[in-house]
Amino acid sequence: MAGATATAAGAVRAAPASAADRKIVAFCCRECAYAAADASANARTPLPPTVRLVLMPCTGRVSPLHMLSALAEGADGVMVAGCLLGQCHYREGNFMAVDRVAFVQRLLKSVGVEPERCRMFTMSAGEPPKFVAAVREMDRVIGGLPPLPRSDAAAPAAGAAVAVRGAA
Amino acid sequence: MPLTHRGREILSRVPGGTLHSAVGVGCEIVRHEELCVGCGKCATDCPSGASERGAFFDVNQLLDAPADSRRGALGGALRRLMRHGPDGPVEVPERVTVYRTIIYDDEKCLGCGTCARGCPAAAIEARPPQADAEPAAAGAPAFEGARA
Repeated sequence: MAGATATAAGAVRAAPASAADRKIVAFCCRECAYAAADASANARTPLPPTVRLVLMPCTGRVSPLHMLSALAEGADGVMVAGCLLGQCHYREGNFMAVDRVAFVQRLLKSVGVEPERCRMFTMSAGEPPKFVAAVREMDRVIGGLPPLPRSDAAAPAAGAAVAVRGAA
Repeated sequence: MPLTHRGREILSRVPGGTLHSAVGVGCEIVRHEELCVGCGKCATDCPSGASERGAFFDVNQLLDAPADSRRGALGGALRRLMRHGPDGPVEVPERVTVYRTIIYDDEKCLGCGTCARGCPAAAIEARPPQADAEPAAAGAPAFEGARA
């Protein structure tokens, strides 16, 4: 699995820079954003091909390690899509996600990476157009940025993948 | 804590009996920053306010952490992305419960060891004071002998 990830990362670097080659990982809350994505797919609304959805039980489950690992392993942008503030199925999970996204943005900014690569969106399950708009907005922002450069100095991945599973 | 009259009387009958301070108070508190997960439990447990959760986080703590720790995993990901060294401490939002730096003030510390007992990462060590440990070990057999 580590090898496959490394090859994928290599392919991303070798490919000519064009906006369609970017990868955006969207961590979606099961209660709202994923349902909205489902509804938008049922309505056959085209989504940008850059986005990859990851189903989460709640955005409160997304740790800074998930977001940074996604960026380090080949994503050019990370979006966290959760419920409207105050409508979290687990009461306050999305508040935690808001703060964690802010923390990751500050970490990225502090080491010279554009903080726009990590963003939080909120929507309800009944708003597929809002989800599509959020994904298109993210696609536009990431398309305007250069591909994310990565150094291979640190050993890639197997350990990081294991650690993500243990992180809260 | 001052002894009662009865306590003083009993102590006077124990041959070689000396008064020790309450158990645990006066411990030397040793903090292992590389193991700390920044949860802040020591700060909530601390009776004297010697440990406090700081509002800022030093990014170098992520980059320097051992690779198999949680902070080290985050630091490894950050190291692959970084274009220059960290600009300085990062402000930590209220709801980020881990990745905080704990501010420890040893002037206020009582050495009670509550933080060491409660630390989930075993990052705090409370070493018993050496001066007290020595007479306690010597005093115990004398007390046994007096009873026999």
